[in-house]
Amino acid sequence: MPVAHSPIQALKSSSAVPTTILEDPSGSLSQQGFDVYASYQRILENEEIATPLAAILALTELIEHSKAGTMFELVKELHEAAEILKKRTTNPISLNAGTELFIAFVTLFPHESDNFADLKTKLVKQGQDYAAEALTFRGKISELALDFIKDDSILTHSYSRVVMQTLLRAHKQKRISVYVTEARPRGLGVKTYEALTAAGIPCTMVLDSAVAYVMDMVDFILVGSEAVVESGGLINAVGSNQIAIIAKAAKKPFYALAESYKFHRLFPLSQYDLPTHNDDILSFPRHAQRLSPVLTARPSVAPSPLAMTPEQILRNPRVDYTMPDLISLVFSDVGILTPEGVSQYLVGMFAG
Amino acid sequence: MGIPPEVQNVANQRIVEVLVSKLRRRQVVGSRQTAIETVLVLRQVVSKARFSNIEQLIHIIKAVGRRLVQAQPKEHTVGNTVRKVLHHVREEYQAVSRAGPSTQTAKSSFSISKFVSQGQPRKQNLTAPKSDTRSTSLRENDPNDPDSFAKGLKPVLMEAIQDVLDELETVYDNVSKSAKDHIHSDEIILTIGHSKTVESFLKAAAHYRNYIVIVAETAPSFGGHEMACSLSSAGISSFLVPDSSIYALMSRVNKCILGAHAILANGGMFAITGSLLAVSAAQAHSTPVVVCAGQFKLTPLWNLYHDYGALDFADPSSVLGFEEGSLVDKVDVINPYFDYVGPELIDVYITNDGDHPPSSVYRLIKESYDDDDHEL
Repeated sequence: MPVAHSPIQALKSSSAVPTTILEDPSGSLSQQGFDVYASYQRILENEEIATPLAAILALTELIEHSKAGTMFELVKELHEAAEILKKRTTNPISLNAGTELFIAFVTLFPHESDNFADLKTKLVKQGQDYAAEALTFRGKISELALDFIKDDSILTHSYSRVVMQTLLRAHKQKRISVYVTEARPRGLGVKTYEALTAAGIPCTMVLDSAVAYVMDMVDFILVGSEAVVESGGLINAVGSNQIAIIAKAAKKPFYALAESYKFHRLFPLSQYDLPTHNDDILSFPRHAQRLSPVLTARPSVAPSPLAMTPEQILRNPRVDYTMPDLISLVFSDVGILTPEGVSQYLVGMFAG
Repeated sequence: MGIPPEVQNVANQRIVEVLVSKLRRRQVVGSRQTAIETVLVLRQVVSKARFSNIEQLIHIIKAVGRRLVQAQPKEHTVGNTVRKVLHHVREEYQAVSRAGPSTQTAKSSFSISKFVSQGQPRKQNLTAPKSDTRSTSLRENDPNDPDSFAKGLKPVLMEAIQDVLDELETVYDNVSKSAKDHIHSDEIILTIGHSKTVESFLKAAAHYRNYIVIVAETAPSFGGHEMACSLSSAGISSFLVPDSSIYALMSRVNKCILGAHAILANGGMFAITGSLLAVSAAQAHSTPVVVCAGQFKLTPLWNLYHDYGALDFADPSSVLGFEEGSLVDKVDVINPYFDYVGPELIDVYITNDGDHPPSSVYRLIKESYDDDDHEL
């Protein structure tokens, strides 16, 4: 995790445009008065809009404001904007999935329009139409997954909008009960717990360390995702991988839910190939500090003296990679897929 | 939308009723046989049907399909065949209507969601509208002559249905085509039950190779007995063994070759009872498991219903007959006819259209059927 990056530093590093942009004097978008990151942030405020979609919408706004006169320039601007977005966010994985998809689409869009402005409006419309359509994807996925849910106990991890929708949908027809992990360090499991309890679904919080304990009580595992990669593996909030490993050992099905805009052209072979990994993560402190916890300058908010310090937490990963062989099925708006099936779509879009 | 009353009644036609009762009484059994009967009925229905647009025709076929599936829901090939016919019907319709005047629309409808689901736009699609010259007089919903649409479309539909039938009739030959690549000389093959597909596969390999087959007798239906007889009369050295010795013999077996009743979308299958036993034994000895089956057995079902209750049950008298009268009312006797075998236990499916690993079965299903037909 970019631990050291305070927000101010992050801003600085993004305004220092990457080398590729520097080569071109007309480049940098911020000079043209349109801030793609601000528009991205504004779009993200809408609870319903997922990161990749927000990225796509931000790029369509960029096209609206763009003064580019040729396809080449436009694509270049898009790449630059994608780079800016990537630099400014701490976890760019699912954002990348969105920008890559949109840029690939723009480059392949068959244009027979007479003038370029016309084509730009068409592209903007395409992007907006897609975002509007994409909001129905979660509904589609929840319908597909519904057939797989009986009167079951389900284990879920952290908070995911598509999982929430699926569980709430299933609750209308079936008698489900849900175990939800706390999902440290962000603790988003609490959010899931509150929403499900409010909806009247029996729900229990599980410590991340108690997953193996609870595994025999659940019928299957349902998780959302940040991205599904080309191998069919899953990138999701940290802890998903260990849940999948335990599920495999207990022979419980592990289902991933992913909207198709989260398909990401990436082929990690291990945790350390993820773009979010850096040398800081889980590194050993340079000077082995033998200070007792009391002596470290830690705000004494935590009631327990045996809690991790914020620095220690920051040195931990936020997402992890789950191998495809641990995943039973991937539910997406394009259908129910085996993990291998995901690559077919990615190859269709990005290869050839 | 206006569906004339005769469309609704078509499902009650005599020919449909005949097959429905045959299915219900289990006078037609075996997946290929039921598939063929289904195509024949559909061919009749389509040739007699009156419709003036494609929706009506699809509605008719679906109505018939529903009747047949309800008659025998465990015979998955009935539904599969209906889906396949529907798929072909739509394809033919699209081919015909594309040749007509409305060519421009397809080109401009490229969108991001299409890009995701279908990949990059293909070049041949963009150049396709050249064939405008082939003028067709297909007009849907012609008020003057409501039958003109049906008249124009029927010949191609008949051809399409004939294709489905041909595929079913040549399925054994096509599965067996690659037999000699899978069976090598002096191998010991284990099989179970009496699958016609496996039988022809083994016989085809026997032309080229000298090998031994161990047939498990497959209690309580004892299909293995017929299989062993049939194989040995074809000159293949075969051994008939009781099911209980499968595990013990597995260490000497080079390959398990099985048949399937239905192949499910997750890559698992329903197969004759005892298959799970044989496959689990094979797994323990790392023996390859090969399944021979025609593509008409591809079923767009996930393993949702593999629970005990979803399996077909056969007559329990072969397990415990009435001669044991004193016991009959003291015990529940059940005789499940199929096992559910999961995808992780199977190495390859040999079909009439190539060899496929279990993980790509869902893709074959996507290619063979239209998504909106999964529920008939």
